[in-house]
Amino acid sequence: MIGNDIVDLQLSRIESNWRRKNYIEKIFTAKEQIFIQNSIDSESAVWNLWTRKEAAYKVYVQETKITGYFPFKIECIVENEIDGTVTINDKLYHTQTFSSTDFIYTIAVKNLTDFENISHLDSRNNIIKKDGIPQLYNVNTKKKYAASVTNHGRFQKIATCNIAINVVDI
Amino acid sequence: MTTLEIIEKLKEIILPYIKNKDAFDNLTQSTDFINDLQINSANLVDVILDIEEVFKIDIDNDSMEKMLDVGAAISIIETKLAQKS
Repeated sequence: MIGNDIVDLQLSRIESNWRRKNYIEKIFTAKEQIFIQNSIDSESAVWNLWTRKEAAYKVYVQETKITGYFPFKIECIVENEIDGTVTINDKLYHTQTFSSTDFIYTIAVKNLTDFENISHLDSRNNIIKKDGIPQLYNVNTKKKYAASVTNHGRFQKIATCNIAINVVDI
Repeated sequence: MTTLEIIEKLKEIILPYIKNKDAFDNLTQSTDFINDLQINSANLVDVILDIEEVFKIDIDNDSMEKMLDVGAAISIIETKLAQKS
């Protein structure tokens, strides 16, 4: 299981006024709010945490089938700028975050070792959706792989895990 | 406030955030904010804050959690307005 999320910082500056009253309080936990306050670059901290939450939520939905708008129940534990974990109720996920001046991108997985097997695709051609969840389907081997797609503004990221889920009976 | 009045106000609120005009023009109770109207999930909090301001109500976390489609939003707004009066 894999989840990913990207924020185009150029677009987020147009789309989102995170400095708006109560915005931060609605979506971040008390600890996360302190993390943002203590960050030198609070804009980057906001979207760094947000992409961690979104990416982890995508794995959570796959695992539990529970959907909802509950960012305040998703808590990021930031180990450093890249690594971290995210808890959602009793579930725990691992995250890796990559940032530049243009974007912030996070990948979340269930098992830490999954990070070794992640690759990114340039096209959505072989991405199918099963129950709303993306999968990569290899037409030749008929194998399916966990996948996650995110796009925002100028950026699109298609992440897959190179270990097959199971063989499709066709 | 009637349900129709609530829907009209709600449509004004969400219009700036939608990315799918067809889904907006054919809005129903089951229209999903993120999947159908393609509202960015980081903007869904703006929708909630706007609802709080326009209807002068507080959306608590339990309600916010359910705020995924038009029907849920209407029912939450109606409940909160009823509690106020």
